[in-house]
Amino acid sequence: VTAEAIPRTESVAVERPKQRRSFGDAPIHVSLLVIGIVISMPIVIAFFISFTPLAELVGRADPEIIPDTWTLENYDTAWNASPFPRYMLNSFIQTGIITIAQVVLSVLAGFALAMFEFRFKNLLFGLVIGSLIVPFELTFIPNFVLISDLGWANTYQGLTVPFLASAFGVFMMRQFFLTIPRDLYDAAKIDGSSDWYYLWRVMVPLSKGAISAFTIFAFLSAWNQYLWPLVITNDESMRTAQIGIRFFLVNQERATDWGAIMAGTVIVMIPTLIVFLFAQKQLVKGIAASGLKG
Amino acid sequence: MGVTTTADRAVRTKPKRRYKRGSSKAYLFLLPTFVILFTFIYFPIIESFRLSQNRVAPFGSQEISVGFDNYTRLLQSSDFWDTVKVSLWFMVGAVPIGIGLSVIIALLLSYPLRRLNWFYRTLIFVPVVISSAIAGTIFRLLYNPVVGFFNHWLGLIGIDGPNWLNDQSYAVVAVTITVVWRQLGFNVIIALAGIQNINEQLYEAAKIDGAGVFARIRYVTLPQLTPTLFFLAVVNVIISLQAFGEINILTDGGPGRATTNLVYQVFIDGFVGTRFLGRASAQAFLLAILIIGISIVQFRGLGKRVHYQ
Repeated sequence: VTAEAIPRTESVAVERPKQRRSFGDAPIHVSLLVIGIVISMPIVIAFFISFTPLAELVGRADPEIIPDTWTLENYDTAWNASPFPRYMLNSFIQTGIITIAQVVLSVLAGFALAMFEFRFKNLLFGLVIGSLIVPFELTFIPNFVLISDLGWANTYQGLTVPFLASAFGVFMMRQFFLTIPRDLYDAAKIDGSSDWYYLWRVMVPLSKGAISAFTIFAFLSAWNQYLWPLVITNDESMRTAQIGIRFFLVNQERATDWGAIMAGTVIVMIPTLIVFLFAQKQLVKGIAASGLKG
Repeated sequence: MGVTTTADRAVRTKPKRRYKRGSSKAYLFLLPTFVILFTFIYFPIIESFRLSQNRVAPFGSQEISVGFDNYTRLLQSSDFWDTVKVSLWFMVGAVPIGIGLSVIIALLLSYPLRRLNWFYRTLIFVPVVISSAIAGTIFRLLYNPVVGFFNHWLGLIGIDGPNWLNDQSYAVVAVTITVVWRQLGFNVIIALAGIQNINEQLYEAAKIDGAGVFARIRYVTLPQLTPTLFFLAVVNVIISLQAFGEINILTDGGPGRATTNLVYQVFIDGFVGTRFLGRASAQAFLLAILIIGISIVQFRGLGKRVHYQ
């Protein structure tokens, strides 16, 4: 029997038993459910605790996950007794600028590297790839010195400018653009279309999947940044949400106000959870693609 | 494909003609990206090396160059080697467990269930969007000896839990668990993609040879998965060496210096109290050499060491 003669099935290592189908699936269902609950438990706990009244939290003999009475007072504390609205605004501005810039610049650079012929092309592409292995430890101290010297500490420029371009994005866009048949480009050229028009009217609409996968990736990385906003801001009004939650934790922990801390936590992670729930497929595809290519 | 016609040759000479016309446009498209990459990645490499040779002169704020003195002092100080040891502990703790768990979970997820597949995936993948600050904050609650859940749950099975974050030996474990948890979503996604990329015919062939479930995993899945496992190993080694946010929120490098890894020491030297940017840069440089070395091994390894069976 040659390999080609074997019909393709959906079977993987653990094969579906042919008989007693539903019964055979049960152990897998149970294991996955238990594993899923264990893994998502910290996030679920954060949600429940954020609705638990302070009195109940400190008054219990044993910690419980589900509150007896539900309250919104923790959200009130987090939102009004601390600069959380400002933290969130800062994060949205910082993340918005970084995401838009990274996507647009990656599309432009990826297009040039995929479609044009020019001197030093390979060298420039090599420099893009090379920058991917430079760890942040190497760059963040000189960048801190530079941004401080420019007077950009505690500003949106300081938070965003070092991250306006993404080597990973350029690489991803170039790889995707290369899969679009070149004939299309040549035909468009013959029809007299400009490169600019072709890029935005043909290439970009054809690359929606890849572009949205990268947009999600860029959004999440920017929103979740920690070390850089921590060192480049010391003014409370310029902190991002991630840094805000750290200082909020330090303040509220003394009062063991874990309900308010978890309310703050929920507020900070809600945008990323929404992205996860609504764009899970693209996110997973993007991550899987990065892994398969190495 | 191998046959070259005159028409092909005509097409192939075309780019040469476009070479000059398109090239200035290409540079314009690339310009913004390269301004950022050069200013904030390539220039800082050189700058970081220059800074690493500086030291704040005694009795003044003047920076003076001391050559490689920062490096020789570091390599001779036991504090430096302690931080290296902490970094390695995180790596040894997080990498095998993180990868082992993710492969087991991915194998289960690869089972073609009719229902609820999306539900399990959602529950299992979710840490992938959680930041280090959020992971640190939630786990700080979980480790809390009074209102936290870990010791409560351990108590239910008769174990008297430690004071996780204030105990020299358990603080490292506490940070490692948090890092493993946050990284798990990513690892499972990569492992699952690797498993699903394996040619099904290999399983069919193994089955015809009489291989059971575990034999198929042992002799088909795992060998076929080596490139994925290698990629995961490299990424996880780098991530565990770079652990920062969780440490900053859970332990602040303590108790004592129990969880002060190299990155955290760089942060303390460079940004907490008096700024010793020279020493911080020297340590950052040593760490970066290690990480770049590992990345290069990855690039070479993908070509050479990992082979399909």
